[in-house]
Amino acid sequence: MIMEYKMETIKTFNYDRPIIEKGYANQTLFIDISVPDISIKPVDEKMKDVFIGGKGFDLWLLWHAVKSTTKWADPDNAICISSGPMGGTPLYPGSGKSIVTTISPLTGSVIDSNVGGYFGPYLKFSGFDALEVKGKTEKDIVILIDGIDEKVQILETSGLPDDSYDLSAILTEHFAQGKPRHISVVSTGPGAKNTRMGCLNFTWYDLKRKRARYKQAGRGGIGSVFADKRIKAIVARWDTVKVDTNNPADGNALKAVGRKHSKEIVELDPKQNEMATIGTTHLVTIMNDFDLLPTYNFQYGTHPEAVNVGQEVYRRIFDTGYDGCWMGCTVACSHGVKDFVPLTGPYKGTKVFVDGPEYETIAGCGSNLGIFDPHMIVEMNFYCDAYGLDTISVGTSIAFAMECFEMGLIDETHTRGIHLSFGNRLAALEMVHQMAEGDGFGLIVGQGVRQMKSIFARDYKADPHIMQDIGMEAKGLEFSEYMTKESLAQQGGYGLALKGPQHDEAWLIFLDMVHNFMPTFEQKAEALHWFPMFRTWFGLCGLCKLPWNDIIPEDNKDTREPAKVMKHVEWYAEYYTAVTGKKTKPDEIIRMSEGVYNFQRIFNLKMGFGQRDHDDIPYRAMGPVKPVEYESRRDRYDKELVEKHHVDITGMDTEEKIRLLRKFREALYEELKDAVYKRRGWTANGIPTLETVRRLGIDFPDVLELLKAHGIE
Amino acid sequence: MMLRVNGKQRSWYEGMTVADLLRDIGDSHHYAVVRINDKHVSMPYFEKTRIPDNSEVFLIPLIAGG
Repeated sequence: MIMEYKMETIKTFNYDRPIIEKGYANQTLFIDISVPDISIKPVDEKMKDVFIGGKGFDLWLLWHAVKSTTKWADPDNAICISSGPMGGTPLYPGSGKSIVTTISPLTGSVIDSNVGGYFGPYLKFSGFDALEVKGKTEKDIVILIDGIDEKVQILETSGLPDDSYDLSAILTEHFAQGKPRHISVVSTGPGAKNTRMGCLNFTWYDLKRKRARYKQAGRGGIGSVFADKRIKAIVARWDTVKVDTNNPADGNALKAVGRKHSKEIVELDPKQNEMATIGTTHLVTIMNDFDLLPTYNFQYGTHPEAVNVGQEVYRRIFDTGYDGCWMGCTVACSHGVKDFVPLTGPYKGTKVFVDGPEYETIAGCGSNLGIFDPHMIVEMNFYCDAYGLDTISVGTSIAFAMECFEMGLIDETHTRGIHLSFGNRLAALEMVHQMAEGDGFGLIVGQGVRQMKSIFARDYKADPHIMQDIGMEAKGLEFSEYMTKESLAQQGGYGLALKGPQHDEAWLIFLDMVHNFMPTFEQKAEALHWFPMFRTWFGLCGLCKLPWNDIIPEDNKDTREPAKVMKHVEWYAEYYTAVTGKKTKPDEIIRMSEGVYNFQRIFNLKMGFGQRDHDDIPYRAMGPVKPVEYESRRDRYDKELVEKHHVDITGMDTEEKIRLLRKFREALYEELKDAVYKRRGWTANGIPTLETVRRLGIDFPDVLELLKAHGIE
Repeated sequence: MMLRVNGKQRSWYEGMTVADLLRDIGDSHHYAVVRINDKHVSMPYFEKTRIPDNSEVFLIPLIAGG
């Protein structure tokens, strides 16, 4: 690869790297790129007790960085990145995660996105529990955090490639000094610049394949904020990582519990989901079998061609070998495709390595668009990553545009001649290329579903009511790729999620719909308390959640609460104790998360959201919008009307049945909100009560003032 | 005329379905998906999916998703 590029240092900040103590560096790094200014902020015990690390630290820094009026493209908006106290432990599976937060271009409020790769741990070992970057520049810059040479630099650059694929490789080589594994690069691409759904790519170095691989902080348009600030990349440089690098309080206890979990995964993963071989692709056909795989913009949950994009196919397409996005992880699910040759775009006809696809990308850029061509999905995956685009928002947004096109709400005069129908593989790819080029109809699709609804209604006179029903966004964020029509609990899992409909807070479909573990409202509310709290905790500590409940102990079915996989929860409590030295039991894990979770809800309130109405979801997520959807599952819906709601449907036409079913299902969703708010200690309007914030130790003066302004005192 | 179920041998008979196997095992409600050799079979297909002789069967306890 030969590129003519320049890098000129414009600011250097030398520092003395602190010794890591029990998982913490005890300081954070602040960079204002406008000035430019680089400084260090201390981390005190209260910050660690209340916010733990990871997302907690990010939120605390971001809370102080932004005002209630700050918009995503304002210089005041900050991008915060943090791993957590356990982040960077090579022995325990899934311990290399980072969480990124910012004010989102899609939602206007705080977004968080978790990601693998080496950056978060390298940042911490370089001396910083979190990074906060604010400001904007007029020239492209690269930020270097060099923990080996104990310096932070801002470099002005020119001539570097725009796309993340080449950029990651070049910067890895540039800073490696012959040791590429010492480098992790965070970057985005041209799609991020021209849309609101930009992602960030975080690299990890693949020793076997001798290349930088990457994982994505996808959700909420964080990459668009990054590109708007004109940051080309943030690079961390760190040395060899060992268990002792994180300086755990009790190394022997850590090794004991880490080995137990690692050993179990090695033994059971081949018998269960085979994630070390096929990643999350097994979910495609399983979701399809249960009518849960979104197809045609979430109209239906199954398709006869789904098997063409499932694990049996990708098992043959994936390059074999170890694919752990963090050192020593035995889940090792980050698979990729070697020597892939795209048919379109700037890499047409050249061999590339594609990281992915995972389930979400297959469903979002495949089945939900009516596309069942495994190689076309790989190409969509490649270009989304290289252009810095979130495959989930891209998929759900194109799916919405395709349905609008098929319904005649928009036509070829709007799409500039593109026949944007379901199944049109080249049209879908063209949308992605146009997002990168900032041109054509792709530029509009790249603004996301919420913006498209406004633009189509205002400029094309499309019916806003039907678009409200079929536009799969809530809080401004596009839905991730699961059908929720038949699971009230998962409707809550999406609708009541703090950042918008992403499954990382609560994935309850199987527990609710298949296993019927939570038949009552109270049980659903309890699940919508416990699961989001426990899942939040992974993001505070620098952990991946997959080892918790994607590989299950063989005796789990005989336990009192099999859904919680309590054996693993207890191991996690041991792990936390071993690293931090703070003796912890499973219940205390939930308590830790509650503080951060409620603080994030209040952060939404600060930004003008975070109340009951903001937890609404489109009706497509609850039930059939159009007669064709109802008719496709008529027996199911008729049965519900008759047996559950005691309606005499004799002589009733489909439109009338849809109307009635909708009335019942929307009422159930409102009832669910009531039950969940009560369980979480919130008012009927969805705001944490004074008692709740006091109990959790987040009763800071500005929090109390904000609550008071909303009548909570 | 044998199967291996989660690594343990069990007897097999002609026409045996996944549903039959789970009934024999006695805790079928915990399994939404099984894998027969390399193929996943989900609950809606348990009754009509026959298990071939000498299959390796894995009972998959919970699909966590996400």
